[in-house]
Amino acid sequence: MRVILMLIKKEFLQVYRNKLLMSILIVAPLVQFVIFPFTADYEIKVVKIGFIDSDHSSLTRQMVEKFTYSPYFINYGFIESRDQGEALMMQDKVDFIIEFPSHFEKDLMNGLSPQLAITANAINSVKAGIGSGYIKNVISSFFNEQKEGLANRSAQPANVSISKVYWYNEQLNYKNLIVPGILVILVTLIGAYVTALNIVREKEIGTIEQMNVSPIKKWHFLLGKMIPFWILGMVEFIIGLLLMKFIFGISVQGSVGALLLCTSVYLLVMLGLGFFISLVSRNQLQAMFIVFFLFVVFVLMSGLFTPTEGMPQWAKYINYANPMSFFMEIIKLIVMKGAGLMDVMKPLITLFVMSVFINSAALLSYSEKKK
Amino acid sequence: MSIIQVENLTKKFKKLTALSELNFEVQKGEIFGIIGPDGAGKSTLFNILATLTLPTSGTITVLDHDILKQYKQIRKEIGYLPGTFSLYPDLTVQENLTFFATMYGSGIKENLPMIMPIWRQISPFKNREAGKLSGGMKQKLALCCALIHRPKILLLDEPTTGVDPVSRKEFWDLLDKIREYQVTVVVSTPYMDEVGRCDRIALMQDGRFITVDTPESIIKNYKGDLYAIKTSQLFKLLDIMPQFQEKCSYYPYGEYFHISFYHDTKHAKNSFLQFLKQHEIEFEKMEHISPLLEDCFIEIIKEDRNV
Repeated sequence: MRVILMLIKKEFLQVYRNKLLMSILIVAPLVQFVIFPFTADYEIKVVKIGFIDSDHSSLTRQMVEKFTYSPYFINYGFIESRDQGEALMMQDKVDFIIEFPSHFEKDLMNGLSPQLAITANAINSVKAGIGSGYIKNVISSFFNEQKEGLANRSAQPANVSISKVYWYNEQLNYKNLIVPGILVILVTLIGAYVTALNIVREKEIGTIEQMNVSPIKKWHFLLGKMIPFWILGMVEFIIGLLLMKFIFGISVQGSVGALLLCTSVYLLVMLGLGFFISLVSRNQLQAMFIVFFLFVVFVLMSGLFTPTEGMPQWAKYINYANPMSFFMEIIKLIVMKGAGLMDVMKPLITLFVMSVFINSAALLSYSEKKK
Repeated sequence: MSIIQVENLTKKFKKLTALSELNFEVQKGEIFGIIGPDGAGKSTLFNILATLTLPTSGTITVLDHDILKQYKQIRKEIGYLPGTFSLYPDLTVQENLTFFATMYGSGIKENLPMIMPIWRQISPFKNREAGKLSGGMKQKLALCCALIHRPKILLLDEPTTGVDPVSRKEFWDLLDKIREYQVTVVVSTPYMDEVGRCDRIALMQDGRFITVDTPESIIKNYKGDLYAIKTSQLFKLLDIMPQFQEKCSYYPYGEYFHISFYHDTKHAKNSFLQFLKQHEIEFEKMEHISPLLEDCFIEIIKEDRNV
């Protein structure tokens, strides 16, 4: 016991003395929270739009005006030809081109269905999709307004109105997903990165050999590493929760106790992973590359940026080995859906099994002797 | 009573044989020095004795414990100072000492008298981070940390490499003082001037001990008649020496030229003087000297190569 306490004390002393690490631990969550949620945003605020008007009718002019008044659109104005439109899109002067065919108004008044073409720059497919959604909205609301004027002239189809209610994230606020996601990234970084680098550093300066020749046991050493970083990870997580509440006003909908329990188990997985990586790598550079590789895979497959449901089946199988996807699921359930402990039992148990597995593997492969 | 017994120790790394068929014993309370060039296998031997590396074959007993089966008991009884500085550079001197004492389950207070001669020198810096100490101070601190649990055996792998001459001398003075506490010391060094302070010396080359003996009898067993010559034409002399017919061995030694004759010394010496005259080499003086350990080692290695 005295040995473990001493190991923990030593670790905290070292973290405290490591000014760079200290400032990263304090500044990183703040910076990530203040910058990332505002920048990693699916909402498209500004769409540059141009028009090819072959109709030159009052109707098309009114419609263009409608776009001009909307704060989401920057109206480039009228474009003379398709060729010019293409050139403008090439230069990024416009994102969308709306083309009115000739006799647009006339055909419409005669009850025909004239075609209106929307051309989008789809390099950023999200922007293209959302932007054209906006455009359709503007156009359909324009026609709704016009309806009174048209009602007498032609037979109107039954008016179907769709009312939408978004559950768990009523305003479709992207921050509600990204902020808890950042919490997950933070905890992962502390768990895997800091632990792996720390132990590899002991290898580099040779102190691990001094530990090995001393009579302390392997699991003493393991615990002496895990407890301090586990505490650090939990503290970071709690700081993150508070920032989430006070900066973004996102409070945990479900059980906070269950959330902390899940986080502590997830941290065990990450600590074990960091420990394992440190054992197989010879220096900090190698460890960094391994952690970085895994980290990117974990994040991209975790469901933070893209829903996991859309992945092909084989990728889903791979994702069963991705602890982050389970933790992301738990976070979404508890923070957004208001789930309790029983609702997250399945992913929690999965994480627990993972933690037992990876830590045993680390402990077994940690040999005090060289062959 | 032998404290370390090594029989037929061999260590292979893939194709490289680092240690081959080593046999030696270390007696209780002695300072056992191992000297040899880089790559001779010194550090490998230390790693095996410190239970960090497994031998390929052979039997090793340390304090009556088998090194393979009872390494846990051995670890409690040894202090190991590896070749590179391996304390926590971001902990202070005092913190390092407390840390290592705790790792071995012992306290600082009861063992302070033993390390007092060293501790006195580094205690003025006890609140300084270990990484910011000078090279000599670092090694003294490392020695303190290796001794704080009162080991019966102290393994020192090149403790004075890269340390200034004054600190090196101090370091060896400290080893002398530690002997009062019945600590057996196994120490390796690449410095010839240091090994004279050991009780017994093993000369190591290519993973073998060429000789194991006390410094006195190594010197006594020197076979030749050694002369030192001071000349300003050292390079020319070395150049023409292959033409000299008599059986001798020679090598530059600092600003001197050492030459050793084996049979019929008087005749050989005269023909050497003749040889010098013939090649117009002027020299200040030629003295008959008694050999130093270095001369002995050079002779031993040469003989070993001829066999």
